[in-house]
Amino acid sequence: MGWYNKRLAKSIWVFHVSASPCNNCDIEVLDLLTPKYDLERLGIKLVGSVRHADVLLLSGIINQKVAPRVKQLYDQAPKPVFVVGVGTCPSGGSCFNNSYNKVMSREDVIPIDLYIPGCPPKPEAMIEGVAKLLEVLNA
Amino acid sequence: MPDVKSFIDKMGDRITNTVEKPLRLYFEVPAEHVKEVTGYLFNELGCRLSTATATEVYRGIEVLYHFSDDNSGQYYCPRIVMTDKENPTMPSITPIVQGAEWIEREMNEFWGVTFTDHPKPERLLSKDHPENLDKPLRFRRLS
Amino acid sequence: MNVNGTTNTVPVGPFHPLLEEAEYFNIVVDGETIVDIDIDIGWMHRGHEYLSEQRTFTQSIYLVERICGICSTSHPLACVHAIEDIDNIEIPLRARYIRTLVGELERIHSHLLWLGLAGHFIGYDTLWMWSWKYREPILQMFEIISGNRNHYGMMRVGGVAQDVDPDKIPILIDHMDEIAQKMDMIAKAANDDPVLKSRLVGVGVLTHEDAVNYCAVGPTSRASGVPADVRKSEDTDAYSLIDWNVIVLDHGDVYDKLVVRVLETVESIKICKVCLEKLKTVQGPILNNVKEISPGEGIGRYEAPRGEVFHYIRSDGTNRPIRHKVRAPSFVNIPTFAATCKGASLADALITTASVDPCYCCTERSLRVKDTGSNVLDVDLLELSRIKTKVIRREIHGV
Repeated sequence: MGWYNKRLAKSIWVFHVSASPCNNCDIEVLDLLTPKYDLERLGIKLVGSVRHADVLLLSGIINQKVAPRVKQLYDQAPKPVFVVGVGTCPSGGSCFNNSYNKVMSREDVIPIDLYIPGCPPKPEAMIEGVAKLLEVLNA
Repeated sequence: MPDVKSFIDKMGDRITNTVEKPLRLYFEVPAEHVKEVTGYLFNELGCRLSTATATEVYRGIEVLYHFSDDNSGQYYCPRIVMTDKENPTMPSITPIVQGAEWIEREMNEFWGVTFTDHPKPERLLSKDHPENLDKPLRFRRLS
Repeated sequence: MNVNGTTNTVPVGPFHPLLEEAEYFNIVVDGETIVDIDIDIGWMHRGHEYLSEQRTFTQSIYLVERICGICSTSHPLACVHAIEDIDNIEIPLRARYIRTLVGELERIHSHLLWLGLAGHFIGYDTLWMWSWKYREPILQMFEIISGNRNHYGMMRVGGVAQDVDPDKIPILIDHMDEIAQKMDMIAKAANDDPVLKSRLVGVGVLTHEDAVNYCAVGPTSRASGVPADVRKSEDTDAYSLIDWNVIVLDHGDVYDKLVVRVLETVESIKICKVCLEKLKTVQGPILNNVKEISPGEGIGRYEAPRGEVFHYIRSDGTNRPIRHKVRAPSFVNIPTFAATCKGASLADALITTASVDPCYCCTERSLRVKDTGSNVLDVDLLELSRIKTKVIRREIHGV
């Protein structure tokens, strides 16, 4: 995979999966693409179809209704695909942890490779997270 | 100032248990008069339906509509109490106020309140839900 | 309407390139023309009710903040208004100005956000980049005021949590002047832009009658000639102390909704400047210490960027609400799609649905309730732990 990963690291295409978040991380992710932070200078681009994606940005606790669709999205993505959990929700459930509508086992739905905690994480933190991913891919 | 007094006089004995607070008016309406009272509020007084709240109280299931008079900030809140906790039923006001469609569907889903004559009696939030959410907001009292 | 005698259903979603959030549309089309639209929501439903069983009034303010990331001032503000309505709690003057300042800053950032996304939806990415670029100073101002870019945690029952540092006020005013200048530019550009006009004028018209029937709120209804604004009708915060105008337009198409939002942003900048000037002189406490909430019910509302946010709280005299109902503006605005999309072409459905600034996270927030009986979870846990203790004891002692 090393050869492939190094090619991948040159230009990561991300697809954004919002699995019942509060919308805030999603807005901050979009913020990364606009002039102030401009992630496109690192070759990172937001794409509209999961078939084109190298990285899935997942935000939110995954609720029971959306879980089968998230699983489907992961299955549809071309492998290898890396999943980045943005925000506290994918890592710890945030304040929605006891909800009756939350999936019991998140790992059964989608395996997450990298967590960026924060409610919401600052764009700088997200950039650092992505940089760490690039570092791993380049190694 | 909104003319709350004349509204109470006009409704007469159709409304009971009136609670008056500054710019807020809560009152109880029997289920058979609810269409008449909400029709008067919406069509004659020109109020806007903000939303409706269902609650489980000791007497039964309670549905509280919130009508807002936007010119004065006055709220009229007709309260309907259904004593049958197993199958609470009341007439739908969606034929009068189109904006009540979604909230009545939501109350049906979460509280099990049946609205007769509702034009679209479907689930709102848990359609195709893998688990059958059964009135998740009712109290689960241990007997 | 049914020209060829056949209709087809186009399913869109729940994950699609248009919106960030997941939602599912079933669009029934006859050729290019939309005959019917059915919206399936619930993909964002998190069930705030179950969570708040353990939460007190103060804690629930932080929970409602996380209903939606964009309205993260409006929900807490409406929530504290509802709690204050139960007991008619007075707010110190300085706290009222701070609340107004934070609320209006949020309106500016939300409207700029929508303007950018609307540009993105009609394939006009330049507008997206420009308006999001000028949204950044607002987020910086939030960081200066509250310490966080998005969830501010500023509201408390009886006042606000943090004061605005007097040393920072000149910096904030500088930021505000910069935004005012840029906003003027954007307002002029939106008025003159032939691309925007040809794409948006006459598209997705919501008539005055429909706006009233569907009980639409906010810019959606104000663009259809309904002059309703909670900030005028309710005497909360500092809005009655400041001179400002409600923007109302008549046509009800997407272009009018855009213009309403742009002009509202200009008004908000005006209000913010007054608030910042007042904060230089108005001194005093920022928080009335509220010890307890008496039994009763209260209605609180606030004009969020998308329209009226409604909170209903019923208290039984303890420190937790018995019932807390939340109604977000998108919950009443989204059903208007049924009126605006019918008869439009499929290509216009995109911007028409986006024109109400739909927020599905708000819509599916759900209501909250406290279990007045015994707390099931705790009892179950207690019972489980007792059973476990018995088992262990049996293993150890062989009893």
